[in-house]
Amino acid sequence: MVLGNYKTAVSARAADADILKCSQDGGIVTQLFTYALEEGIIDGAIVAAPGDEPWKPEPVVATTKAELLAARGTKYTISPNMMLIKEATRSYGLDKVGIVGTPCQMQALRKAQLYPMAMRKVPDKIALAIGIFCMENFPYMGLETIVEDHCQTKMESAVKMDIGKGKFSVYTERGALSQIPLAATHKYEQPGCHVCLDYVANLADVSTGSVGSPDGWSTVFVRTKKGEDVWSKAVNAGYFETKDIASVKPGLDLVTKLATGKIDKNKKTLEARATLGVNKGLRNPYI
Amino acid sequence: MSKVVEVSPTTRHEGHTKLVLKVNDDGIIERGDWLSITPVRGIEKLAIGKTMHQAPKISSRVCGICPIAHTLAGIEAMEGSIGCEIPDDAYLLRVILQCANRLHSHALHNILTLPDMYLPGTDVHINPFTAEEPVRSVALRIQKLREIGQTIGEIVGGEPIHPSNPRIGGMYKNISPRAKAKCYDLLKEGKDLAREHMEFMITVLKDWDARPTASVAAGYEVEKTEKFGFHDQGYMAVDPLYASTNLDAEPKWYPERWTEVRPWDWYMGEQEITLDDPNYPNHATTPAGGKAWPQMEACTAVPMYDGAPVEVGPRARLAIFRNYDRKGAMGLQIARQMEYMDCFYSAIEALDALDTSGSVIADEIPQGDGSLGWAANEAPRGADVHLAKVKDGRVQWYSLLVPTTWNFPVCSRALEGAPWQLAEVIVRAYDPCVSCATHMMVVDEEKKVVAQKLVQ
Repeated sequence: MVLGNYKTAVSARAADADILKCSQDGGIVTQLFTYALEEGIIDGAIVAAPGDEPWKPEPVVATTKAELLAARGTKYTISPNMMLIKEATRSYGLDKVGIVGTPCQMQALRKAQLYPMAMRKVPDKIALAIGIFCMENFPYMGLETIVEDHCQTKMESAVKMDIGKGKFSVYTERGALSQIPLAATHKYEQPGCHVCLDYVANLADVSTGSVGSPDGWSTVFVRTKKGEDVWSKAVNAGYFETKDIASVKPGLDLVTKLATGKIDKNKKTLEARATLGVNKGLRNPYI
Repeated sequence: MSKVVEVSPTTRHEGHTKLVLKVNDDGIIERGDWLSITPVRGIEKLAIGKTMHQAPKISSRVCGICPIAHTLAGIEAMEGSIGCEIPDDAYLLRVILQCANRLHSHALHNILTLPDMYLPGTDVHINPFTAEEPVRSVALRIQKLREIGQTIGEIVGGEPIHPSNPRIGGMYKNISPRAKAKCYDLLKEGKDLAREHMEFMITVLKDWDARPTASVAAGYEVEKTEKFGFHDQGYMAVDPLYASTNLDAEPKWYPERWTEVRPWDWYMGEQEITLDDPNYPNHATTPAGGKAWPQMEACTAVPMYDGAPVEVGPRARLAIFRNYDRKGAMGLQIARQMEYMDCFYSAIEALDALDTSGSVIADEIPQGDGSLGWAANEAPRGADVHLAKVKDGRVQWYSLLVPTTWNFPVCSRALEGAPWQLAEVIVRAYDPCVSCATHMMVVDEEKKVVAQKLVQ
């Protein structure tokens, strides 16, 4: 169950070469939103667009393909996408909202749908929720320190950042690659991530991430009826190349291993909180 | 020998009120007091010292049917005090919001009114909850109209109940072209429905006026009187649709003509209840032997204009700006229905003029020097006047003169000459909003007045 409920799991990448040019992995989120926008399945999507500072994302309501393309690539820092969920149905006038987010943001979304506290008219306007795998996140200053101090790279020069194979990697415009062991980044993690029990965005309609698939490809879980409907239509319309996940390396075994690792570690943190003080503990949001 | 009967609480309107009625042997009201018994929340007092940004958001919570009126009047009173002119597109968004609110409010009031009315040509009271035709379609149409009003309020105001978009200096956000198109579609869908609905309502109301007898809801019929719900008080309105503030080139409201007295000066003294009716619809009247003391119990102040109470609301607006002259309870009800179309056409016009890429926030927002500012917003129920003094961004003084506060004493006078069993029909014609009206004095647990706000 560490991978959540899903109907199918595949390895996939976008068919659109333009999207793949700057996508983090297989361009799944950008391609699927583009398809959904073209088909009227959504009329806008909340995505993490470039912000005022380099690699600092800003949530926007994207209503064109160009705006979706501008939001490609992982930014390893916080983007409060749920901030716009209500506004998207207000001044933006959307009826069918798409949203991408980390597992915690998918949780927030589902909670808002089931327990809409001051979220009037939001629950029925969520058309497509795409979740991305997430091991942990960094505050912006943490990311800056990792990139500029540890990796010795200017934030402005970076064209891609990536966490994989135990390393944090920064690629620059001029072709340099700087890598540090992931262990060096642990102290910059956002503390709130340490109680998170979800790795592969279990509550999304479709979740996607890099782990399990080769470079340039993504692992995709199709989870809900809505997700299956959109995904199968998009695949049939030729928007994606897919491979059976069983045929790719490292495949679901690695995903399961990482998910189990995250959940076990964070469960321990949660348990420790209960007895952190002397005869008292810290709050546990799960109980 | 006159008797005293008390209907408490009254039903099918917003808030908590009662009727203390002195009637003659035929049950005709000789003197009626309609008074608020809604607990006072003291918005005006607690606003003092708060920021000018916060106070209107608090006063919005005075009422959830017309929060738009309080938000806009509050904000514009603050803007009036600090002398802040808002951009055109912010003004247009506020106008659309105003229209949307009036639309939903009038439609909601139809649901409250209809149980007193009859299917034209029959003796059957209209029960809006019945699944039978033709009433079912009417109820669905009302629902649709309200949904349209609330959805436009949601898009333009950020939220239909307690709008989040208005702020000191304009609005937080303009709307997207897509949202503008959506509002158009909704308005165009709604305007034909509204015309049909307005005609239906006016037919029903005129039918009631022409009947010799009537009852409250499904109660027993009594003979009606001529001049049902007439009064000789004047009217006050500042605009057919939106508002007037002290920043206008020609303000339409005059603070110097306003005075306020305590209920002590206006309502009846202590009365013993000597008449009761266990069969009065919904619940019996107060049993005989009880006491009522309107002077002490009334939870509102009595505002006056030129030294007398005035009627505000749809009829006041039409009477002042459109020479409307139908009197009585049904005259007021019909005027309300006549405002439907204006909500649609004004909103469509404002949308036409709206530039969705225009700025909606003033370049400069002064912090205020303590000058008096006021804004009179034509709420669904009439002129909602907020007065404020802002200094260094903080509220020094704040006063709300809310439509139903103006209407309380007028409606009390309008009760005279009517059979007491139909008094609630007159009350409902005013579409009272009693939480709106009640904001003034501090009352302790024994309902004794322990503090009263008097005009500074």
